[in-house]
Amino acid sequence: MSTGQGGSAQSGDPVVDLLLDSLARRKATAQVVDAADAGREAARWMADAGVARAVLASDPVVERIGLADALKREGIDVRIWPTGLGKRETMGLEGPADVCGVTVPSLAVAERGTIVLEASDGHGRGLDVTSRHHVALLPADRIVRTLGEALALTFADGRPAPSAVSLVSGPSRSSDIEKISTLGAHGALTEHVVIIR
Amino acid sequence: MSTRKRRDDGGVAYLDVEGTLRERTVDALRDRTLRGNLDTAATSWGESRDAMREHYGLDDMRERAREIRRSNIRNLPALLTQMQEKVREAGGTVVRAADGAEACRYITGLAQARGVKVVAKSKSMATEEIKLNEALVDAGIEVVETDLGEWILQLANEHPSHIIAPAVHLNREQVAALFREEAGTDDVPDDREGLVAHARVRLREKFAEAGIGVSGVNLGVASTGTVCVVENEGNARLVTSQPPIHVAVMGMERVVADWDEAAHILQVLPMAAIGQDAANYVNLITGPRREGESDGPEEFHLVIIDGGRGALRGTEFEEALSCIRCGACLYSCPMWRSVGGQAYGSPYSGPIGAVITPLLEGPSSPASRDLPFMSSLCGACGEACPVGIPLQDLLVRARARASSPATRKSGMAFRAWSRLWRRPSTYRAWMAGWRLMLRTRGKDGWATELPGPGAGWTEVRDMPTRWPPRR
Repeated sequence: MSTGQGGSAQSGDPVVDLLLDSLARRKATAQVVDAADAGREAARWMADAGVARAVLASDPVVERIGLADALKREGIDVRIWPTGLGKRETMGLEGPADVCGVTVPSLAVAERGTIVLEASDGHGRGLDVTSRHHVALLPADRIVRTLGEALALTFADGRPAPSAVSLVSGPSRSSDIEKISTLGAHGALTEHVVIIR
Repeated sequence: MSTRKRRDDGGVAYLDVEGTLRERTVDALRDRTLRGNLDTAATSWGESRDAMREHYGLDDMRERAREIRRSNIRNLPALLTQMQEKVREAGGTVVRAADGAEACRYITGLAQARGVKVVAKSKSMATEEIKLNEALVDAGIEVVETDLGEWILQLANEHPSHIIAPAVHLNREQVAALFREEAGTDDVPDDREGLVAHARVRLREKFAEAGIGVSGVNLGVASTGTVCVVENEGNARLVTSQPPIHVAVMGMERVVADWDEAAHILQVLPMAAIGQDAANYVNLITGPRREGESDGPEEFHLVIIDGGRGALRGTEFEEALSCIRCGACLYSCPMWRSVGGQAYGSPYSGPIGAVITPLLEGPSSPASRDLPFMSSLCGACGEACPVGIPLQDLLVRARARASSPATRKSGMAFRAWSRLWRRPSTYRAWMAGWRLMLRTRGKDGWATELPGPGAGWTEVRDMPTRWPPRR
């Protein structure tokens, strides 16, 4: 598991620690950071991964941690969802290949290492899978223990069901060739979760 | 083997199955590569699943899963009505198709009406069952399977060998050869990472082109009208988010009442299917894109297929409708592990395929005559099933239902034998005659060639003329 320079691998909070373990099992990387450092840490992770362009969900969490400015300081091209880019460029067939989709999960499931992404005006349903890299910005208070809790909250009575909800558990993989797991089949090759205290 | 011949016209539709079940089975048994690949796959599945069983208490989860699915099937008409209403409220279109032909007509009609040239698909057994690819190709529409395993099979012109891991019977070298042929170049790597990266780019071109994305449905949730599409690669998300139209094809039995039930089944499914506690992507889709959203399909169509399922409710085969298509019974079946899925000659193979294919195709189909006998009735399938379907019992019932001149003849023979052995006097006369024949036919305590019912035995082994046999 990558901890990032300023983050720590253990948080002291049992639910956060459970999530960290599960994410490692899913071959996702993660770091726990303070809100004040989150923008800088996330931008540094992307720079280290060789990201040329970041596509950010338009979400208060992204703004609060000042991610766009931090990315520009790292020399990374920043686009905000909706980007207005064509379909081919969105899927990486044109333009820079090393694109990173930046999402803000509505919830995360500690037991299984799953993040919950809800589609909305500011959050495209393909944001994470169309890109080569995926960074999720997860406020620590959104972590629940089980899938049942997460689904009960997401589809609660009286709350309109979102048009699309994606449960994402680690980077894209395929075991279709010789039943050996290979990463990056169609969706993101890497998944990095920045847990914000 | 006979099922692997290529189509001359280069079309993408699957071949009709050739040969008899016995011929296909013998072909498969002779294929050493196939045996090795199946063995590797089944062993690694078994190991991961055993770990899950201990960690999560899979056996207890099965009881709950069984209750949920039985109640779903009991309440099916009401759940489907609710599902339909909720999908329509969310802006989607719902079509109930009585059979595969009707479903295919609707989808090809939709494609033609919207001027669609390319359809991108994510893996779906239901579309394989209704032969949707053939219908689309016949209508002049290009169909691309985007699940890596399915795409490999499409290039090889083969049927899936397994519900979850369709190309499990092909190795890396065989895959690389297919990719080179498709790309028309030798410049294709033959390591696994390289092959996956190659397919990623080729298939992204298809996602960009496709006018319709077709997906299957693992579960429909009636309370919100949501379809759940479970996958590991991310192709189903691309299929359901990139093309302007999404068509979801669902077998009518795949509906659960609410999110409490869905949560349980969604946890059981990946454990049983791949021995993991989560699939990589679970896509929960409620209608088309909403106003203000800038990706996702503008149209959402849910096609619900009966195809013989409705008629099974209330019969002795009702529990077969509980199936969540995880594939666990396939991996656990010694028969399937020996011959793979293609020998079955139907989209659904293994124990569940041997039960439901005859039911969906009708009592007079060839499948009905042969498939229920593709089992040793060892019961491993029933034990592996995460929703507790008593598969071995259903197989026995399917055998009883199978009727052909051969089964009728053997039925008469067994009834006559039973009458003979039921009375001590006729039983003793039979045994005396049998001993006399063994003594006159046998030599040095062993009979090597017997007439009548004994011929089958001595064809492959000798029979001792007395017990215990002489060494």
